[in-house]
Amino acid sequence: MLIEYFPSESYIHKLDVRTKTLGFLSITTISFLFLSPVINFFITLCTILILLTIGTPLAGIKKILKPLFPIFILMLLITGFTYPANKFTSGTNQNILFSLGDVPFTLGGFLYGITLVLRIFIMVITSTIITYTTPIEDILQMLKKTKIPHQFAFIIATGIRFIPTMQKKSEMIQEAQQARGAEIGTGGLIKRISSYISVLIPLIVDSLRMSDNLAIAMLNRGFGAMKTTTDLNEIKMKTKDYLICFTEVIFIAVAFWIRSENIGGL
Amino acid sequence: MFEVLERGSIKVDLLRFKYKDSLTNIFNSLNFKIEKGEFVGLMGRTGSGKTTSMMLLNGLIPHFIEGEFEGNVYSNSMNTLRYRIQTMSRFVGLVLQDPETQIFGITVERDVAFGPSNLTFGKEKIKEVVQKSLKAVGLEGYEKRITSELSGGEKQRLAIAGVLAMEPEILILDEPTSELDPAGREEIYKLLSNLKKKGEVTILVSSHDTEEMLTYADRIIVLDNGKMIWEGKPTKLFQDVEETKRMGIRPLEIAEIANSFYKNSLLKADSEFINKNEFLQFVKNNLTSFKSSHNGSKKNNLTNYSPVVIETKDLSFNYQQKDSALKEMNIKIHKGEFVALIGKNGAGKTTFSKQLNGLLRPTSGSVLINGNDISRFTTAQLSKEVGYVFQNPDHQIFSATVFDEVEFGLKRLNLSDEERLTRINNALEFVGLEKFKNRHPFTLGKGERQKLAFATVLAMEPNILIIDEPTTGQDWDGTNKMMEMLNKLHMQGHTILMITHNMQLAAEYADRIIVFSNGKVVLEGPPEKVFYETEVLKSAFVTAPDCINLSKELRSYGYIKYPVSINEFKKDLLEEFIWKGNVN
Repeated sequence: MLIEYFPSESYIHKLDVRTKTLGFLSITTISFLFLSPVINFFITLCTILILLTIGTPLAGIKKILKPLFPIFILMLLITGFTYPANKFTSGTNQNILFSLGDVPFTLGGFLYGITLVLRIFIMVITSTIITYTTPIEDILQMLKKTKIPHQFAFIIATGIRFIPTMQKKSEMIQEAQQARGAEIGTGGLIKRISSYISVLIPLIVDSLRMSDNLAIAMLNRGFGAMKTTTDLNEIKMKTKDYLICFTEVIFIAVAFWIRSENIGGL
Repeated sequence: MFEVLERGSIKVDLLRFKYKDSLTNIFNSLNFKIEKGEFVGLMGRTGSGKTTSMMLLNGLIPHFIEGEFEGNVYSNSMNTLRYRIQTMSRFVGLVLQDPETQIFGITVERDVAFGPSNLTFGKEKIKEVVQKSLKAVGLEGYEKRITSELSGGEKQRLAIAGVLAMEPEILILDEPTSELDPAGREEIYKLLSNLKKKGEVTILVSSHDTEEMLTYADRIIVLDNGKMIWEGKPTKLFQDVEETKRMGIRPLEIAEIANSFYKNSLLKADSEFINKNEFLQFVKNNLTSFKSSHNGSKKNNLTNYSPVVIETKDLSFNYQQKDSALKEMNIKIHKGEFVALIGKNGAGKTTFSKQLNGLLRPTSGSVLINGNDISRFTTAQLSKEVGYVFQNPDHQIFSATVFDEVEFGLKRLNLSDEERLTRINNALEFVGLEKFKNRHPFTLGKGERQKLAFATVLAMEPNILIIDEPTTGQDWDGTNKMMEMLNKLHMQGHTILMITHNMQLAAEYADRIIVFSNGKVVLEGPPEKVFYETEVLKSAFVTAPDCINLSKELRSYGYIKYPVSINEFKKDLLEEFIWKGNVN
């Protein structure tokens, strides 16, 4: 799950949500533009640097990435074995590292796999930076400016608000089931999956009950009393934001130009 | 004649209301009035219609919860039939149970602003009301805090602040204190009484708290079966012990004393006492002499000869990135003991209990059950020996019938069909659910679902039972029935650990009390010892039951006994004190 917003005064916190979103878009675009792991590795380093300087708790990121590791390894294997040597323009990348029976494992394929992994890394880190530094209300206001109805934005906000609640609920249900003899998440695959049914059903029943209560509580708080609502903090672009947005656009343009010169491929 | 209703008043003139899919009427001629500025308590058994009647008052019934509705309800002089719920919400603030589903904002400040911004208050105005409401509930300085990280008591106060920020004329709260410890409960009532003093709001609160209702409410309305069966001053209600019991309300301890004095014709009807001062005044005026007798402890003291079944050795525990939740606990619990774990919310009672069946594992130190280190066993394996009954039964019910539900845990035990059947039937019979065997669990009432959850644990036949807050949210009858069951198990030789905020129950039923504070045991011993340690209890934010505080006051008259329940105290008062007009 994403890391929650944490109020602080870091330089990223002070930026406008639109600047950050554009930043996210330009970084991911650039990483998708280049196939070479070298460039993607450089971008990864830059994003990690930002992440460290704003004081994000690293334990949270470890938690997001940990379950992805088997997928990463799978990706490296698949790309290594499935990309034939003739796919690559550079000679070194056509090298075959080893073969499994008749199927060759190419260096280029392996490097491409690394790029794919790094792209995921980059997206996880940049989206973490955004969620960690931006209050959800700002993101909602950005959506509102794009003329999305505020009810829709409200659904997203409430959904996010309830993520920790549901996590806690599912923990409590697991504990209650274990306490009366249920083995949850152990044994073979099928046994493991079926053991989660005893968690899932109470969780669904409980969510239904909660959503009913939530609807009542919304009415109690006057939701929908008027056609619109008061915005508390108007999001505002400062000079710094304009400058950074401009730089971000330049970065994308330059990246496109470099790529068109056939640099950064495999 | 046309009646003029004042703003801030409530008038219910309901002929009947029936849910859409229900066969019978929920309400049959419900009529009551509340004046502007009153503080009214709504009492009655679970299922008597308290919550439903609160939903009448801002139009949730019949606008959101539909059904056959005949009659009129006026809140703040507005007929609820004519206005939308959202419009009513501006004037009638309703705080329901479960604060969790009433919090919308990610931060405290944003959450409180949710209501006013829906009502399109101006920006400056919103800032002002947010500050004002946070101050009123004692959450100043919490503006930027993340709502999901608040404690239960803080969430409850936030829910109230969120409604206060809409500046309602009428404030309605449904059991706002049921999940709180005594200190938190006191805070909520103080807050309400401050609001009342300012004269800005009319307050209606439903509750099972007898003492607080006596202290804070101007008037009590008692419901039963969707009808108002009693209405009047709280002193008048609680003086009549038999009547309160009949209406399913826990009687006041002092009133019980007065009642027994009255029955023994030591008290005239017009000189009854209802609070501590009146009682002490009575003692001063009417006590003639005192027969002293020596003190003897009557509770079983098992600590000397019974084998140890639970032992923790230097048990410490901390949650991630937080300071330690449990600090070097060394506790021994003997076979057949009934132990009550008390202390304020967050003191470590539940965290400690979860170590005993492996739901949490110690950061350092060890837990021994029957002399075996449990670190090698899973919670499921331990469930045969250590049963754990959670507070919320809905967190475990998932089968289609009551029978299947109880069978669930047994499936893994490799029992013979016969043995399994016997166990299920025994467990269901014990909690009194045998006639519901084939029913769907969710068609049962909340109290019955709680019994079902209890039965599922009992079917595992554990020798040790841990019960987390067995009486929270239960009315007086439900509480008594639950305690009867626990007592019966105790008599059968089970070791029982009960986590509770109800000091009367702890004092009356437990052999031993363990007081938690900040992850440490600050006091332990039999109730007649623990509850008389005033200073330590105070530092742990625990309040002793009324009868204990009263008996301390009688020390100056030569009374030296340590009663822990109202019945013991009553007996002493009648047998060892000699009163004016006493024939002996």
